[in-house]
Amino acid sequence: MKKLTILFLSAACFCTVLSSCKKMLDVMPGDELDQSQMYRNVYDADAAVIGIYGKFQGLAERYILLNELRADMLDYTDNADEYLRQLSNHTVTADNPYASPRPFYEVILNCNDVLKNFDIMLKDKKMKESEYAVRYADITCLRSFLYLQLGIHYGEIPYVTSTLESVEEVKDVKRFPKLSFDALLDTLIKSTEALTYKDEYPSGTSPNITVDGYPTAKWFINKKVLLGDLNLWRGNYVQAATWYRQVMETAANNSNDATMYTMYKVGWDSNGDVDHYISYGRISDATSLVWNTQWRIMYEQAANTKGYEREWVWAMPFDSKFKPENPFVKLFSPIGGKYLVKPSQEAFDNWNSQQQIGNSSAPAVPGLPYDARGILTCQQINGQPVVMKYLWNYLNWSSMLPVDVLKRSSTWFLFKQTHLHMRFAEAANRAGKHLLAWGLFNNGIAGAYPAPTSDVTNYHNTLFEPYPFNFDARNSGSSGIPYYRAPWYRNIGIRKRANLVNYNVAPGADSTLSIESGLINETALEDAYEGTRWPDLLRVALRRNDPAFLADKVYQKLKKDNVPGAEAARAKLMDKSGWYLPFKF
Amino acid sequence: MMSYKTIAYTLLPLLCCAVLLQGCKKWEDSITINDQVLKENLMERIAAEPSTSKFAELVRKAGLDSVLTSSKVYTVFAPDNDAVSKLDPATQNDPAKLKQFVSNYITLQAWNSKTEDTASSYLQMLNGKYHLLHAALMGNATITSGNKPAKNGVYHVISSLLPMSDNIWETLTNDNTIPAVQKAYMLSLFRNVFDPTNAVQIGVDPKTGNPIYKAGTDSVNTNLFWQRVYDLRDESKRYALFVMEDAAWQGATQTYYPYFVTGGMDTTAALASWEVLKDLATEGNYTSDNIPDTVLSKFNVKIPVEGAQIKRSITTSNGTIFIMGKVDISPKNKFQQWILQGEEYTSSTSNKRSNTYFRDRVTPTGIPFKDVLVYNHGTSGFSLGFRITNVHTMKYKAYCVAVNDWMTTNFTQRLSVDSATNASMAYVTVTPNNYSEIYLGEFTISNYRSAMNVYLTAAANTTATTNPLVCDYIRIEPSFN
Repeated sequence: MKKLTILFLSAACFCTVLSSCKKMLDVMPGDELDQSQMYRNVYDADAAVIGIYGKFQGLAERYILLNELRADMLDYTDNADEYLRQLSNHTVTADNPYASPRPFYEVILNCNDVLKNFDIMLKDKKMKESEYAVRYADITCLRSFLYLQLGIHYGEIPYVTSTLESVEEVKDVKRFPKLSFDALLDTLIKSTEALTYKDEYPSGTSPNITVDGYPTAKWFINKKVLLGDLNLWRGNYVQAATWYRQVMETAANNSNDATMYTMYKVGWDSNGDVDHYISYGRISDATSLVWNTQWRIMYEQAANTKGYEREWVWAMPFDSKFKPENPFVKLFSPIGGKYLVKPSQEAFDNWNSQQQIGNSSAPAVPGLPYDARGILTCQQINGQPVVMKYLWNYLNWSSMLPVDVLKRSSTWFLFKQTHLHMRFAEAANRAGKHLLAWGLFNNGIAGAYPAPTSDVTNYHNTLFEPYPFNFDARNSGSSGIPYYRAPWYRNIGIRKRANLVNYNVAPGADSTLSIESGLINETALEDAYEGTRWPDLLRVALRRNDPAFLADKVYQKLKKDNVPGAEAARAKLMDKSGWYLPFKF
Repeated sequence: MMSYKTIAYTLLPLLCCAVLLQGCKKWEDSITINDQVLKENLMERIAAEPSTSKFAELVRKAGLDSVLTSSKVYTVFAPDNDAVSKLDPATQNDPAKLKQFVSNYITLQAWNSKTEDTASSYLQMLNGKYHLLHAALMGNATITSGNKPAKNGVYHVISSLLPMSDNIWETLTNDNTIPAVQKAYMLSLFRNVFDPTNAVQIGVDPKTGNPIYKAGTDSVNTNLFWQRVYDLRDESKRYALFVMEDAAWQGATQTYYPYFVTGGMDTTAALASWEVLKDLATEGNYTSDNIPDTVLSKFNVKIPVEGAQIKRSITTSNGTIFIMGKVDISPKNKFQQWILQGEEYTSSTSNKRSNTYFRDRVTPTGIPFKDVLVYNHGTSGFSLGFRITNVHTMKYKAYCVAVNDWMTTNFTQRLSVDSATNASMAYVTVTPNNYSEIYLGEFTISNYRSAMNVYLTAAANTTATTNPLVCDYIRIEPSFN
């Protein structure tokens, strides 16, 4: 049969060659767009934006691996290949595909191309000025985010904003000299702050609707968070805090009271699906830990729920119904996946060295001697430690078996309200607002400024501070006079939400350094494996000019997991040049 | 680039033509098996080999030639004619025995002997016995001419016969020189045990939905020793069984009579005999030359094996039987303590789950433990029950760890035997933050009990602060004083 086909084919080829058929070859492809069909109106522009984000999602696996496996909480398993091991052990060779900056530049060049076409559309009046500003800002911010990632992992990088035919041209050092990290940050801050539009997509535009149960607004980068981050990296602390504060007040004018009090405010709602506490049926009864709602549920609940809306600032779904395919089952799951990475012993030790709040009424049983977020983040499956955060839509929390083997949905968790509060606190701490910073990650603003009497008028607030550090968390209770329910009165604090006792600043210790170390560690406990650990360690090591801050933690991971070469990795990371990946296309 | 597949498909018609035109003699030549021996199966090869012709005859006589001509792959260790001539005529003339004999030299799969390779493997022969293939030795027989190929396997010529001895259990049953009393006891342990594997179902119980089996088909006759200690018939393992001479056995069992006081002497003797017997075997390939002076039984009891007391040893196909002058294991070494985890209680006075805390705690030195706390249960004399089994006639001492880390005041709790209201042991005080064992008291069991309950009982009042129960673990140890 095959032979016959080949014979016919050859005959057909001859015919084709002989008769020529220019018109036949000019037919437009049925399932792909031609250049001439693109960028005709605002809907085409939205399609381009969605296309960019689709490409961006392809970086999810790389983002998690670079930002977590290089740091101290994630390690490789026996199933991992040599290249993953290199990432973890800090012995990356130039041929390591995970270390290649090329995929980042591919998306960046796509961004450049889209931006150029947006300009043309504006010039040709195919988009209104306002439509243009919104979309242009989004893509510019995403590109800045990618450059920030490149700067974090490669140190010095070429900065390209023009359209290129081929990604290979980025290598041309004469055209695109490498920028230092600080110069890169200055450039990014300048170009990003210059944008005229910095809010979410206006509701009703096609990037801010609900598709398949997913409110699309959360898919797109939060521009103010990005601006906060850029300024925080650069050391512009008040400026960073100002941007973060704007995001914290996203719901300040929301018509829904509960949303106004809780969204991005780490506020309680007396509803387990929104509170996201570490909660027990009976405090200190270890077997009564709440699983089916509260803290764990934020990694499982649907994107159109209140809890999700108020918790997540930036999160992109991987749904079995549409592409791209979820990479996290492959990375993390021993069931149906390849189980390439696992939590490190160092991560477990960190959770297990925390102290929970005990029972306040009789019996005043002391708190459990560990952080229960560790249990809800990592589980043992068939005797193997597994990172569960990205698997809760795939594995049932009770049986640890797939709900449906073929349905591998998950979410790329990029930024949540705890990140926001922690970063704000980091900036506030460096700006000298120690107690406010301490309160935000411990037991809340009101907890940091307690009232000795039932009159809270002069307590529970930082209104004596200038913006962005002025918070009003006054809560007079039901009997206090005068009566207060201030906008921040429900702010509970990150450790209190996790049922942990406050982080203590040792007497005589330097407040700035001590609180900063506590903050960074708290992000590790709360936001483990969400792609910020390596940047957090790097940022503080850079700021303090203290390589040991980074090197010691990686060293502890490798040592506790019995990886040979822990000493060598530490020695390498004690020198700043050892922090960055080889920049090789 | 053109894939190899594409190239192949394009070239294929051309090739076909070429082949058709040219004929294909040369091609056939290159794939033909020229080695004559590889055209013959094992049966044919062994028969053709002059030194193994007699063994080939026996294979035919035993009816196993069909095995060696089949398409499965086998290895044959064929004894040469000299060796076969030493086979006793009784075996040759008994078809069943002959089949056993011949299948002792055949195993599935192809096994080569490698003189340079120190790795050795136990091979299971077709009769179920295992022999060790190691370098140029098969068991104790030398491979005089090895690794000879055939169409369906490999064969080796060996210079002597392979042993075909009984296993430990068969030896115990058949060997009349083994001391009689312990042997008789072991052989008396056959029971019918429920086993539906070969049962014939004749109906379904309309009330329970359970199957009804034909009488006599739903059980197997099996020995308790096989079930509870080791299956001494298992050829794939190696065991050592210790059989005491009659007087020593009787002496040893009588030592245990006082610990098994029951209503009748027969029951006492049976229980004491089992207590002695259960520790008289161990797993491992021991001979009288290499056995250490102490080995561990399955129940982690140390068995003293004094060289002078080894009267005789009998080598069997799956280990060794040691005939012992005595095996002196004292009750102190046999009777082990119970550690009852507080959080694993089996009963309670009433359901107080909403007042119960299963706690994860750490000691001040950083050792994690779990315990149970019942607080504000409102029941006077509330108790948690625990079950212990195989309780001997003797005195016991009880201890517990009870960490009161939530109050600065004392409270009391006690251990009660058989009933939560049994006050034979007094209440003991639980002081704050004591992480060490506290002594609960002692109790004496006058009649052997196969199982019994003990209770951790709270104070006889309903005040939350004075009647809590807390327990990490309860330890009950036999007291020989």
